[in-house]
Amino acid sequence: MLKPSLEDLIKSALRSILKNKGRTILTSLGIIIGVTSVILLTSIGTGLQSYINDQFDKLGSNLVYVAPGKIFNESGGFASGEQSFTNFFKQSDIRKLQRGLGDLAIVFPANESTLKIKFGKKEELTSIVGTTPEWAIYRNSTPPEGQGSFFTKEDVSKQNKVAVLGFSIADKLFGTRNPIGKEVTIDGKNFKVIGVVDKKGGTMGGPDIDAYVYIPSSTFKDITGKDDIMSFSIKVNNADNIEAVKRQTKRILLEDYDKDAFTVFDSSQLLSSINSIIGILTVGLTGIAAISLVVGGIGIMNIMLVTVSERTREIGLRKAIGAYPRAILLQFLIEAIILSCFGGIIGITFGFLGSLAINTFFPAKVTLNSVLLAFGVSSAVGVIFGVMPARRASKLSPIEALRYE
Amino acid sequence: MIKSLSKPNKAPVVLQLKDIVKTYNSGNVQFNALDGVNLSIHKGEFVSITGPSGSGKSTLMHIIGLLDIPTSGQVLLEGKDISHFKEHQLAQIRNVTLGFVFQQFNLLPKTSALENAILPLLYSDVPASQRHQKGIEMLTKVGLESKLKNTPAQLSGGQQQRVAIARALINDPKIILADEPTGNLDSKSGRDVMDFFHQLHQKEGRTIIFVTHDRELANEADRIVIIKDGKIEIETKK
Ligand SMILES: Nc1ncnc2c1ncn2[C@@H]1O[C@H](COP(=O)(O)OP(=O)(O)O)[C@@H](O)[C@H]1O
Ligand SMILES: [Mg+2]
Repeated sequence: MLKPSLEDLIKSALRSILKNKGRTILTSLGIIIGVTSVILLTSIGTGLQSYINDQFDKLGSNLVYVAPGKIFNESGGFASGEQSFTNFFKQSDIRKLQRGLGDLAIVFPANESTLKIKFGKKEELTSIVGTTPEWAIYRNSTPPEGQGSFFTKEDVSKQNKVAVLGFSIADKLFGTRNPIGKEVTIDGKNFKVIGVVDKKGGTMGGPDIDAYVYIPSSTFKDITGKDDIMSFSIKVNNADNIEAVKRQTKRILLEDYDKDAFTVFDSSQLLSSINSIIGILTVGLTGIAAISLVVGGIGIMNIMLVTVSERTREIGLRKAIGAYPRAILLQFLIEAIILSCFGGIIGITFGFLGSLAINTFFPAKVTLNSVLLAFGVSSAVGVIFGVMPARRASKLSPIEALRYE
Repeated sequence: MIKSLSKPNKAPVVLQLKDIVKTYNSGNVQFNALDGVNLSIHKGEFVSITGPSGSGKSTLMHIIGLLDIPTSGQVLLEGKDISHFKEHQLAQIRNVTLGFVFQQFNLLPKTSALENAILPLLYSDVPASQRHQKGIEMLTKVGLESKLKNTPAQLSGGQQQRVAIARALINDPKIILADEPTGNLDSKSGRDVMDFFHQLHQKEGRTIIFVTHDRELANEADRIVIIKDGKIEIETKK
């Protein structure tokens, strides 16, 4: 039978923890600092990452983009240098691509121009996108119930002057009023608002798609006088075919264009470029978190070493009145575990609350891994530095331990 | 070595030291704090060990109390050589068979008199439910029934030493060992402690060995062992 019993050991450890409040607070403080900061810092890194991934999901999945110029460098990062966003694909390219891709995908154009839009006295400069109804379907931009609808194929073929507003531009121009059916002026020409797209949230550093105004591609050509197309979106029928569609698209475009004159990419490529930037940020954050773990650990170590002479004498006394080494080790181990759990739970609580607070202005997401890592490392430090001196002391003769200075 | 003659003790020997040597190494210097000590303690004896400061009294007591091990020689407890005992067996003897009283009391700080007194029970077979009762009994015996909740800081030196004595007695030990138990006390408190030891000896027939550098206190014992430079110089019996 274990003597003292586990219950006695826990009681004894709790008594010792409660009697030495200063020591208890200082030790747990080290653990609290370590756990809190690791959880907070990693929650910022992962929060940012999942926020961006969410944004990409909102833009629509299984999409391949064709854009002018060279966007990526050879190592997958963004290419540096001047980018020319001049409209330069031709209407015939759409037909050629659609023919080449067949059933695999649907090609639709996106022309963009920054123009003035006016309602009454309110005037805004915003991105006008000339496209086809496929945009609404494949880029998740269908207006919800009660907010009108996207334009139709007929609107495109008849060059109707209709417009669908993004959430924020509708808000800016109309405020609380209902925009549906109202007349707005784009580049001096009258358009009827037929729909408002729901809020999508801004892409970090990218264009604010909530400020987009969509008009039929044919009408766009009419008001800007440009027959060129700036970019295509290609909706692929199945995620497995994305690579095949990209290869095929490149092959078709290479017949007419130079290889550095256009880029065919999908959102995963864009995402991995952005993620590699966040990766660097996360490494930095993790570094800082590691430093706070070390700081917390040194705090724990210090307080344990400061109290070692007091504790060694206690061990000497306990041995003198009949404690055998294992009983002493167990007591100190249990004490250290209780302290670590106590500090760990407070640290986890602070970390959670802190990341909730950060979440109000910046995406933050607590991960189980960071909780386990922080808790694991700091309680290991707590247990090691709590038990190591006890282990040494329990090997001394009672009288040596009692005399320890 | 001079031994005074008196009638031999018929009681069994509970503790026997044979050729005990304790050597300390301080730097390169080797020093024998005990240099061939032979001593037998009979059941129910009240023995004092005295001698000048630095003569090895405490060193001897620590070896008798199994708190330290001799460099050479044998310690026989009830006839058994303890040098082959494992650490946990020694711990059990310290817990059950021996009760040690220190000059510096060695109570746990911030811990009540009652909890200090029952600390050895944590390492013995006494069930948790009986511990407090035993502790109260022992503290009542040393006259501290009104101070159960006081921490050492809230007790006088004499009271602290009485808590330490209650702790030494809690497991009903066969042998009580006390190293200068009155050394840190005023004469009144010291007298009380001595009277208590007399009572334990006379009324309960306990075996008591105590160390003092005070010749008068030493003379109160049945047998006086005088030690000098790590050797027993004279043993006198009443
Ligand atoms: N841990 C130790 N290391 C070195 N020398 C010691 C140690 N403990 C005691 N001594 C020496 O042994 C001798 C006996 O000490 P001690 O038994 O404490 O004497 P007493 O209790 O009779 O005053 C002294 O000279 C002391 O300095
Ligand atoms: Mg001494």
